Amino acid sequence: MSVARPARCLLSKRFAAALKPATPTCNAAFHSSAHLEARKKQRFKSIRAGEMGLTSPEKVQKYTEENFQPYTPEEIEVLKKHYSSEQMEALQAGEAAIDPKDLTIQGRLRRDPYQIPYLDDFSRLAPIRWLTEDEFVNDIAKFAKEVDAPQAKIWMEQKLNDPTLSEEQKDWVKGQLAKVTAQADRAKSLDGKGGDAEGLDLMFERSMLNDDNAPSDTSVAPSLGKDIPGISGIYQNPIDPEDQGLDDEGIYQDLKRRTGLSVREMMDLTVKILVVRLVHNQTRLGKIRSVWVLAIAGNGNGRLGIGEAKSVENGAAVQKAKLLAIRNMKPVPRYEERTIYGSVSAKFGGTIVKLDARPPGFGLRASARFFEMFRACGIHDIAAKMPRSRRPMNAVKACFEALTNQKDPNEIAIGRGKKLVDVRKVYFGGNVL
Amino acid sequence: MGLPHIANLCSHLQNASKARLGLTSAPHTKYNLALLLSMQKAGFLSFVTRGGAQPPDPTTLSTYEPEPLTSANVARQRLWVGLKYSDNAPVLRKMQAISTPKRAVTMKLPDLERVARGWDTNGRVNVRGLNMGECMFLSTSKGRHGGARGR
Repeated sequence: MSVARPARCLLSKRFAAALKPATPTCNAAFHSSAHLEARKKQRFKSIRAGEMGLTSPEKVQKYTEENFQPYTPEEIEVLKKHYSSEQMEALQAGEAAIDPKDLTIQGRLRRDPYQIPYLDDFSRLAPIRWLTEDEFVNDIAKFAKEVDAPQAKIWMEQKLNDPTLSEEQKDWVKGQLAKVTAQADRAKSLDGKGGDAEGLDLMFERSMLNDDNAPSDTSVAPSLGKDIPGISGIYQNPIDPEDQGLDDEGIYQDLKRRTGLSVREMMDLTVKILVVRLVHNQTRLGKIRSVWVLAIAGNGNGRLGIGEAKSVENGAAVQKAKLLAIRNMKPVPRYEERTIYGSVSAKFGGTIVKLDARPPGFGLRASARFFEMFRACGIHDIAAKMPRSRRPMNAVKACFEALTNQKDPNEIAIGRGKKLVDVRKVYFGGNVL
Repeated sequence: MGLPHIANLCSHLQNASKARLGLTSAPHTKYNLALLLSMQKAGFLSFVTRGGAQPPDPTTLSTYEPEPLTSANVARQRLWVGLKYSDNAPVLRKMQAISTPKRAVTMKLPDLERVARGWDTNGRVNVRGLNMGECMFLSTSKGRHGGARGR
């Protein structure tokens, strides 16, 4: 047996151990964000303001004197013209109460481009208004005139060579450049004593006028124009001039077509919510709560309808139920346009509703829901009873069935081959309602 | 007493109406005959006639003569009645005996007045007032009559 073998085995074991990958650290991605290699090192060491000498008493004093100067005697004279002596006293007391040094250390002056042009003056409100396109252009042109013309000219020439600008913007700059050049020639001030052309950058700052419909804060965005390319002419305006502006949202348009009623007539109908139930649909994700609404509609002159609707939103259910009630209006036979013909009863589920005709002046002796139904369809004398179940939904439906399924006395008379005479009418010589 | 037969007649006419039959028959008794004739007068039936086991021919009904009643054929006689329908519904919708075989109901004039005006009786007998289009047929000492109520 060679000695090389154990040595080789030994080596191979060592190699195998070396080749074997180290126990891996957990590489699983437990989150979707990018992997942080290590803590990021600051490029620069942070230096405190005190080490830079910014908080030295001299610096603070200098800043205070620059920014928070007390009123000069001339300014006080001017103020005295505007304020009463008491107000002046209060003003001076306020001035004395606040140490300007405190303002420097604790206060914060805004240096951003959107700073308010006053420190503290709330005597009047500054109205906020969006400029129209024309106003905006005029405003910019006015601003450009205030800027030193030669500087503006230089700036505009630079802008013309800017490849990022669109052709329209370049055209506008060309037009303005001509004006500014003429102005500069006229002023003969080409030697240039310095100006602020930076303000012109505002023109090409993003705004709702030039952002090409990019996503923005819609709450302050202007409304869409009338002729939008691509969709203009596709959608018809649902507003009908016959409605006299009563139905700008187009809610009644479908109903108008179905019923033949005008929007005004539909709005004059008596529409009431009689039953509201909170119902739940149990799904594997949980309960879905909805609102079930039953509404009635009547014209007060012998027509009555009920509509039921369900929605997650209460308002939607109410509106649907009301519209359905108007759609489902049926004629209700009425004796002398005040009561029903004889006694009627109807059964819906476990509910039985018994209605009885009553003499003139009797009134509506019925439960609240029935009262609303009778009033909506124009019945003035009636008695109603519910001997059994009084569930609201079934009660209303049974009552509707009883009212609409009355037997016509003329039909009965025709069936029996008789002539019908209203004795009441004969007795009173036709002087009944 | 014809009360059990009247109850049978009521059920039979209701069933025939619901089945939309054109004509049907009832046992030939004096009580049935009086009631059916009253009902025909009130307009619930189109005709009432006596006949045998086979119904009379409807086409020749106006000239139909029933065979003479003899003691030989009287047991086979039946009353044939025509049922009426109007507006796709039977004219005779419901028929009920107020008097039952167990309890014959009698009423005097004040009660009859109330019932005919549509009011329930108060007192000894308990009869509901007549509703619109309902008729009540009475058996009196002067014969059998129909009392109708309508507005």
